[in-house]
Amino acid sequence: MEQQVGESLIQLGNSDGSNSSSSDPVTRVRKLLFRRMLVGIKDGRFFLGTFHCLDKQGNIILQDTIEYRSTRRSSPSPMEQRCLGLVLIPSSCQNSCHVDCSVEEQLSLLKV
Amino acid sequence: MADKPVYEEASIDGQLPKLASIPASDTTVWADASPLLQAACAGLRDGELIHGDNFNLFAAMSALEIMDPKMDSGIVCTYYSIDEAIENGAAPIPISLDSTIDVRCTIDIMDHLLACEAAWHKGHSLAQTVFSCIYLLRLDRTAPHALLHSYCRIIRATCKAVVSVVSDARTHEEEDLFTMTYGLPLNGDGDDKCLSILNAVEETISRQLRACKATSSKRRLPEDLEPLQSNPNLEEGFCKALLCRLRFRKHFFHVLSCMKRPQGRGLESARKHIASCLTELESILKSAGFLRSCFDESCEGDIDDKTTASGFEPIGFDAMLNSRLSAPTPPRAIKILSWKKAVEYFVKLLHDLDVICSYSLDPHLESLLRFVVQFQKSQPDLVARSHLQLLLVQDGKLYGRDPFFAVINKAAALPESTKNHDIQKNESFLQLGMLVMNLLKILCTNAAWQRRKLGKFLQDWRVIYVQLELAFRNEYGEVSSSSNDENTCMKIFQHILLWVEEQTYWIAFRFLILGFELELYSTGEYCMVYWYLYAVLIKLAEKTHLMMAVSHDTAKRKGKKKKDSPKDLARESRIPPAVLFLQCYICLAEGLTMMLAALRNEIPVFHSPSPFNTEHEKFVQHFELLQRACIPDHVSYPSYKESTTHARFSTLAMYNYFKDAQRIAKEVKSSFSNDPERLAELRKLEQVAEHNSVAQNVICRLGALDPSLRVSFEFSHHPFFATVVVKRS
Repeated sequence: MEQQVGESLIQLGNSDGSNSSSSDPVTRVRKLLFRRMLVGIKDGRFFLGTFHCLDKQGNIILQDTIEYRSTRRSSPSPMEQRCLGLVLIPSSCQNSCHVDCSVEEQLSLLKV
Repeated sequence: MADKPVYEEASIDGQLPKLASIPASDTTVWADASPLLQAACAGLRDGELIHGDNFNLFAAMSALEIMDPKMDSGIVCTYYSIDEAIENGAAPIPISLDSTIDVRCTIDIMDHLLACEAAWHKGHSLAQTVFSCIYLLRLDRTAPHALLHSYCRIIRATCKAVVSVVSDARTHEEEDLFTMTYGLPLNGDGDDKCLSILNAVEETISRQLRACKATSSKRRLPEDLEPLQSNPNLEEGFCKALLCRLRFRKHFFHVLSCMKRPQGRGLESARKHIASCLTELESILKSAGFLRSCFDESCEGDIDDKTTASGFEPIGFDAMLNSRLSAPTPPRAIKILSWKKAVEYFVKLLHDLDVICSYSLDPHLESLLRFVVQFQKSQPDLVARSHLQLLLVQDGKLYGRDPFFAVINKAAALPESTKNHDIQKNESFLQLGMLVMNLLKILCTNAAWQRRKLGKFLQDWRVIYVQLELAFRNEYGEVSSSSNDENTCMKIFQHILLWVEEQTYWIAFRFLILGFELELYSTGEYCMVYWYLYAVLIKLAEKTHLMMAVSHDTAKRKGKKKKDSPKDLARESRIPPAVLFLQCYICLAEGLTMMLAALRNEIPVFHSPSPFNTEHEKFVQHFELLQRACIPDHVSYPSYKESTTHARFSTLAMYNYFKDAQRIAKEVKSSFSNDPERLAELRKLEQVAEHNSVAQNVICRLGALDPSLRVSFEFSHHPFFATVVVKRS
């Protein structure tokens, strides 16, 4: 565990700046931990929470999650929200996934 | 899922604008991370996770799983909101422009609501059952449809009345889903008028029924009345089907309000309404034939699974719409009871309520306790139990009428004069009153909760005993004999102490036998359970006997003027039947203990220690609460061991306890000839005793010799005294 953390810290240092897009995606996703993440699912709801965990199957765990849902299928419509806390969003129902980042970060961080 | 295409459609056209409405912070944007995550997943090894320092697998297990039907209450199925559902025509008013179909659909809604109501009573949340009805969620919309409106209104009023009874009784700790109503439009204006609205509708329909009967017999009625619907052939059937449904609701509402009247004053009228309810339910059942036959389209599937009498799916229900309201409990996918089961449920509920209403409000605690225990044997549901409890304890008084001190006074056979004695202001006596009140409340709860509560409750009874004893010693320890008043006090204390002990052992007995009802004991533990039961029963019989002697004494002194007849004296020397009754229990418990112990000691198969915990540990698990309260004194695991290690077939053969039990049961039956409930119990005891006596003989003769002998235990004759079954394998 400790070793892993150290590793990710080192890589974080290395990937700083221009060569980040070339580094390993696992490392870059690790850097997204604790960021705000917005996951949309197939029935039209969105979950906004802190990125907590990702597994090989693509299941995501978010912390301190808020659920957003619209009151009408036709958009735009007002949103309802409620707090859910720790949620697991199976990859099978994920539809979209966004992270909160600055514009300049956007390009370097997320390019595959 | 059938809605799959809907999901996709929703996500495509709704995505961008919705994203915009959940803003990132001022200086940041939402960047699409899905390609990166996909790439990362490909790069991960099996079982590897990306997580931070604070990750804890155990904690992660408790995460709410989105789209899991058992955890995620927010799953959007068909509609996003009630308003959207209504706009999309999910609950139209009128239901159909064709008046015949409109009436049929209205009946379907009524039937489905009944099924929902039963499912709610059976433990599901109100939000997922009755309030899955969109018409109920927006009741004002139904105003133009008098029939539907009146029915929905009385349903809402009924639900409110039932919620209030159950939450007032607070018997529902284990069933707390029941009273969760937040977010539901349960409170509406004008529900007090629901009966008059219903009556008006009922009146109209019964006139329509009369009119259609008149037309068919070629008579003319003076009134000029629109028929209920357009098809004259179906008019009579529909009118009748509606009338019994409306009348059932009316009477049921009356039952609930009558039963709530203080001091049981409404019980008699409640019984009349219960009888009417049952008649209407019968008519409702009968109407099913007509409803099923009046349309050519036949419905698929087994009619017994349907939630309506006609078998059609009702219009205007969506359980998912407000499933969010059932949080914080997980929105389990629930199954609404079938219509037939729902009717059966209401029949049972009404019978249970009728039992409560027919009770004589006997102020004698002993018979009251027996009544409650007997009532619980029929396994009444929450609603009936709550009504019973509210009847028993009102305003801190029995039936809202008799103060508990007076009740104890009577039960402990104290002289009449104590009723107004200052002693009732004594702290311990006040507490004792509370204990009796709580005992009654606990006895009205469901079996599991009742057992747990009774177990803990025993200590309170023990403490009060010690307190009373102390108070008694402090005041009268030294005084040998003195004034009349002190003599009375002394008597009060003596009686009360004895009575408290009797109650304590009675509670312990209830606690032990509830374990059988809840199937908490395994066959390997029967020996210790019967042994403990035996120990408690011995004490209970002893205290009961003493109590009876004392009360007989008091009674005799009261009627001193009468001559002591020789008959009276003879009776006194005999053991009272109530004690003999307990004696019969004792013999059975002892017999079973000894037989089980002998089997364990002599046949190796029976002595198979559990791999998980020792016999001592099991003893502690089962009787810890009793042991902690010292019930009975000096009973412990070593004393259990000591009394059972020497049991052998040879000793069993010499003394057959079951024969004793059988004999006592036979003898004592005549004393209970006017008590059918105890007579039935005695008959059961006799059967068990007879069976076990024979079985014991067989075991004693062959047990040690024949290895193919198999002994098992069944509760075929009695709920807690096992019948021993011997078979050769």
